[in-house]
Amino acid sequence: MINRDLITRNINSRNTSNTYLPHPAVITEVITENSQIKTFVLEFTDKTLNTNFSYESGQFVMLSVPHHGEAPISISSTPTRPGNIHLSVRIAGRLTTALHKMEPGMTLGIRGPYGRPFPVHIMEGRDLLFVAGGIGLAPLRSVINYCLDRTGRYGTMTILYGSRLPSDIAFRQDLDIWSTLPGITCLTTVDTPEPGWTGHVGVVTTLWDHIQISPSDCTALVCGPPMMIKFVLRDLAGMSFSPDFVITTMERHMKCGVGLCGHCYMGGKLVCTDGPVFSMAELKDMDIEELR
Amino acid sequence: MNEKFILRKDHLTGFLRKLSKGHRLVAPVRNRYGDLMFQVIDSLETTDLDLSEQAQESPKAFFLPQEEVLFSYEASGGIYDFRPINNSEQTVYFGLRSCDISAILYMDVIFLRSPRDDHYMKKRKDSILISIGCNTPGENCFCNATRTGPFLEYGFDLQFTDLGDRFFVESGRARGDEIFSEWPQFFHPVTEEDVRLQYQLALEAKAGFRRQIHVEPAFSKLRDDAVDTAVWREMASRCDGCGGCAYICPTCTCFTIFDRMESTETGKRIRAWDSCTHAGFTRMAGGHNPVDMKIDALRRRFMHKLYYDYSAFRRPSCVGCGRCVDMCFGGVDIVKFIDIVCAGTRKRTRDSRRILGDLLLEAGLISRTDLEKALSRQADTGEALGKILMDLGLVTCAEILGVLSLENM
Repeated sequence: MINRDLITRNINSRNTSNTYLPHPAVITEVITENSQIKTFVLEFTDKTLNTNFSYESGQFVMLSVPHHGEAPISISSTPTRPGNIHLSVRIAGRLTTALHKMEPGMTLGIRGPYGRPFPVHIMEGRDLLFVAGGIGLAPLRSVINYCLDRTGRYGTMTILYGSRLPSDIAFRQDLDIWSTLPGITCLTTVDTPEPGWTGHVGVVTTLWDHIQISPSDCTALVCGPPMMIKFVLRDLAGMSFSPDFVITTMERHMKCGVGLCGHCYMGGKLVCTDGPVFSMAELKDMDIEELR
Repeated sequence: MNEKFILRKDHLTGFLRKLSKGHRLVAPVRNRYGDLMFQVIDSLETTDLDLSEQAQESPKAFFLPQEEVLFSYEASGGIYDFRPINNSEQTVYFGLRSCDISAILYMDVIFLRSPRDDHYMKKRKDSILISIGCNTPGENCFCNATRTGPFLEYGFDLQFTDLGDRFFVESGRARGDEIFSEWPQFFHPVTEEDVRLQYQLALEAKAGFRRQIHVEPAFSKLRDDAVDTAVWREMASRCDGCGGCAYICPTCTCFTIFDRMESTETGKRIRAWDSCTHAGFTRMAGGHNPVDMKIDALRRRFMHKLYYDYSAFRRPSCVGCGRCVDMCFGGVDIVKFIDIVCAGTRKRTRDSRRILGDLLLEAGLISRTDLEKALSRQADTGEALGKILMDLGLVTCAEILGVLSLENM
């Protein structure tokens, strides 16, 4: 019950005259994370907005790419480092393909932030377990760096990251930093090794044997492909994690981001406004196709 | 509010002409193909209004157009500019039915929550809603079951009742009262006889429904997850995903958003109707679709309209207009769905012992001796027949569920 009371429903809407009108934002840097993922560093053209733009880890924005419409993209930077926002995007369809061709100096459109963020307040004082697969590390990168920037408020941190191939490992800069920090266990694994790979091999759930966690003191944040989420949630339930302290994110096709278009309707909830962050306790009450 | 007047029928055109000065007038008109549609009326002299029956389409498209420009943009080099567009006009809607008004009230709940939809809000603010109660409900109508008609207590600016040679007109909002006081020359005081006649007509209309649709029992079945998978499968196999039900439905408001490029540097962002039965509705970039379109899409459709919205707003997002019944050529409309779902309930609750026993007998899963043995034990213990048969090892749980689901079809 704790989560449902404490994660407040968050519908963020700055009072623009038009719900659907984006704000221009310039690309200042493009970081190539792997062959499929790029991180775009963006600054709003409107300097006042750029300074005042506030968001929380786990929220997303609707990103406009000229002539290609909009897509929901989760923010991968932390609000503790203001001045720009990072959007990490994997090439998937038409819009993201066009986006990947864009360079610094070009302008995109952003409206938001939208959605319910990670419940950072109920994580305070607890150990944290982050489990990510592929691009799923993008929203978790935001909350991991947020927790790191607020030193002393959280217990031990364990980060597990799974990729398909060693060459698919994204966010290497962040993983390198996290691996060297005291109080953090950061393990990566790949489904299929390539020549020269000396690390773990196997899906991310094979890493349980390599870590020390105490489920009663720990909050788990899980983000990745549906199949990974399904198996990680199953294992965490088996380890007697409280369903209120297992937090995950759901992904659905979205058009408006503000709870109107109906595309992300899922088990009586809207992923855009009721989520995208849900606790396992909440998901149990919903009828979710991919977790059946 | 709740003022009442009489408007003579031969004064209707004059009244509408005055009222629509400076406004657009939208009312039902029969076109040359014989279709009764809401349309913009340019001249009351050359156009005949037709109030004889419910219009084929609801006025949804005037509030949420099938295609609407949200804004225009310019994108060149480092520039990406967005320009808002206003596409609302002051409009008088005349001849709406109770279901149409109820559907607009539902759209208000969706679009005027936080964050509100500015395009919808502007159109709503610019609207005057005048409805006419239904003295004779249509063939497929069931607004009695959804409590959205045939006459309304609120929601309209003015509500008309056809009393033969005159209309009984009542106001439901301050805007309606303003109309009465602005054009007093058209409105005469009501007599006791008028009030009695209106009351009687509204009462008779309630008895005039040809369909009995069990909306609330369907809600209970969906809440209890008691709709058999076989029902969903059957419905899904009959659905061709054309989206007609959603387009014709006055409360289906799901939409998609896309860009329409007009030159290499300019374009418009468009919002257009979408339907949850379309294959691409939940498909994500790259082609992954978390929802099995054949079954889950229909399940979500009916769960949304009859259960989730009922839980959230204490009323289903079906206004009983019956339009989808004529629209769906596969017979997967909401009326058929409710009928199938509730048919199972009635059969089972009427006499479940006899039915389950007979079904198992028919299926050749038990013999008559087995059944009699089980029934006599039931007379002693009062246990459920299915449990007794399972305890005796005569049938398995799967076999019982199997025959029951066949029976539900």
